[in-house]
Amino acid sequence: MMSYLFLLPAFGFFLLFVAYPMVKGVYISFFDYSLRDFSFIGLDNYISLIKDDNFMKSMGNTLLLVLITVPIVIIFSLFVSMNIYKKKEFARSFFRGVFYLPAVSSVVSITVVWGWIYHPNYGILNYLTGLFGMEPVSWLGDTRTALLAIIVVLITTSVGQPIILYVASIGNIPTSYIEAAEIDRATPWQIFRKILWPMLMPTNLYIIVITTINTFQCFALIQLLTSGGPVYSTSTVMYGVYEQAFMLGHFGYASAMGVILAIVIGIISIIQFKYFGSDVEY
Amino acid sequence: MKAMKKGLMSIVGVALLGTQLVACGNTNTANSAVTPSNADKTEPAATEAAAKPVEITWWNFPSFQALDGEVGKYEKEIIAAFNEKNPEIKVNLEMITFEGGPEKLNVAIASNTAPDVIYDAPGRIIDWGKKGLLAPLNDMVTDEVKNDISEAFWKQSSVGDNIFMYPINTAPFMMAVNKSIFEKIGALDLLPLDKEDRTWTFEEYKKALAAVKEKAPDVIPTGFFAKSQAGDQGTRAYLANLGVSRFLNEDNSAVAINTDNAAKALDWIVQATKDKLSVSGAASLAAADVNDLFLQGKLAFTLNYSAVLKAQNVSKKMVQFEDVLLPFPTLDGSEPKLEPYLGGMAVFNNGDEAKIAASKKLIDFIANDPVWGKKNLIQTGGLSVRNSITGLYDDAEYKYAEYARKFTTDAPTIADGYADIRTFWFPELQRALTGGATGKEALDSFATKANEAITKAKAALK
Repeated sequence: MMSYLFLLPAFGFFLLFVAYPMVKGVYISFFDYSLRDFSFIGLDNYISLIKDDNFMKSMGNTLLLVLITVPIVIIFSLFVSMNIYKKKEFARSFFRGVFYLPAVSSVVSITVVWGWIYHPNYGILNYLTGLFGMEPVSWLGDTRTALLAIIVVLITTSVGQPIILYVASIGNIPTSYIEAAEIDRATPWQIFRKILWPMLMPTNLYIIVITTINTFQCFALIQLLTSGGPVYSTSTVMYGVYEQAFMLGHFGYASAMGVILAIVIGIISIIQFKYFGSDVEY
Repeated sequence: MKAMKKGLMSIVGVALLGTQLVACGNTNTANSAVTPSNADKTEPAATEAAAKPVEITWWNFPSFQALDGEVGKYEKEIIAAFNEKNPEIKVNLEMITFEGGPEKLNVAIASNTAPDVIYDAPGRIIDWGKKGLLAPLNDMVTDEVKNDISEAFWKQSSVGDNIFMYPINTAPFMMAVNKSIFEKIGALDLLPLDKEDRTWTFEEYKKALAAVKEKAPDVIPTGFFAKSQAGDQGTRAYLANLGVSRFLNEDNSAVAINTDNAAKALDWIVQATKDKLSVSGAASLAAADVNDLFLQGKLAFTLNYSAVLKAQNVSKKMVQFEDVLLPFPTLDGSEPKLEPYLGGMAVFNNGDEAKIAASKKLIDFIANDPVWGKKNLIQTGGLSVRNSITGLYDDAEYKYAEYARKFTTDAPTIADGYADIRTFWFPELQRALTGGATGKEALDSFATKANEAITKAKAALK
């Protein structure tokens, strides 16, 4: 009984701030809930969403963000980690610090800096490309480049934690396995594929799932850099939720968006658990 | 089985993350929202003294210029002065920003924690009025006040016969020019500053832009923006005047901006961007970004200016220059039509008559106190909505702003579905700016969506 009492504060917070809002969010999604109304409309919000071109576009953008960002983050983080884990403590700490800095910096500050880098008239990026004779580009104001520009920022802010985790995980793999493989004349690629990669599976699973969820929930970058534009080319579901709920006061509609997003994330997470889950222990 | 269990756990886990952001609110909103018919119930007149102590909450955007650079300091002085006359009313001030304030208000209203009184503009206030969230202020408006304020302002402050906003300050939205640049390049004669009304034509405007491009290559001739809905009165009025068109029709029942002339004007803006006459990357620039360029001396003309903004921008200038108000140029030289900025106060009906009465007393003090009324007006940097109150400022630009009130047109902010209409405007401008549509296609597309929103909003109000 006493042990349950110790659990009570945390469990109470969980119920109040996680479970209750979640259930309430699902409940609200079946209502026309605006500043004025609160009436049951069944699945109307969901039907409207499916017919809503902007929502479908946002969902497409969100999936594209995930499909591009997650693999790049994983590959880049692994590459960096593989190259720094053998280095001396000082060098390892330096690189970890460099890559982790964006993760501990304010998203708003980072976004403001990137906003200036991309500025169509005074941005340093256009200045640098201009040195090679390129015409200035409106990176965030062109439907062809805006999402790409967002992805670049997202990647820079997403690689910090994976690098820290990979370096720690690689460091924890017993060196005897690698030494044995080297004695057997295994190539670095074989060592990576047959030893390191399988043994990193638990870390991979965590990083892939968390990076996927974080990318799905990309909001601050979009709001501050593009407001979902131009012409909805960078609008994500999360930004749509914010826009509908807090700018337009369509809380039921926004909740339905949130529920759909949760379902999509859930399905993708199940797939990730299925393919990347492992019982490796060492 | 194990995998299934894992999968189930992950679904639950991510569902928690996915839905918690949008789950807030109060199911009692509908029950407590006061319908207009309820709002008509007899209530104590504002002039009746509230005998019992009462506590009210005043949420305020930075409507008054900050005193000594401290946000909210001036408002606290108002409250202190108000309390000298009304010691029984405790006013809790909460300053909100133009960036996050609207969202905060939406959440507060939806969760039954709306403030008692607010200083804002018709765009939001009338929408709340239509939704039955506000207390009518008719009993506050004396005949003297009623007759001293033009009908256009009352129209913007009312829903039907109910006055929901007590209008206080105004200023026509205009453009502005960095006069110092034109002095420097010896092209002052290209600006219409020698005319009392400062009106000018599209062609004259083009000549002025060309002169800047030619003689001041480091300066961007003019601005445009379409990142978001903030400041959209600027782009609306710019296009409407260049194309001699209205934004909405006379009774706000349909879009009127999709004319051939306005479409040509939008096509010209797109071309002007390519020709380096108008700021590049407008689709990713907000109104504030363009005004910042202007305040940095990097832009000759800006589209979103007024006497109020001019006063507020004094401390934000990065370089010293003379900013001069100008009306928007028109295609045929006809009189410009300027949307007015209108500021005023409203009272939320939170179901407490004592709080409503106290809130009205605060509004009355802020607007009409013999000493503080005028002082408050000057602190907003705006003009009085009262026809009888003029000459508040000894400044040429204010005098012109007062003169330009004759160009004021009715703003679309009172249209049914205005909040939704706005969300369709800037994406269509973006479509034109990024080459996804011609001016005509973009404006027609906007008209179709906005007209649907108006129809839907009208149906919802029935």
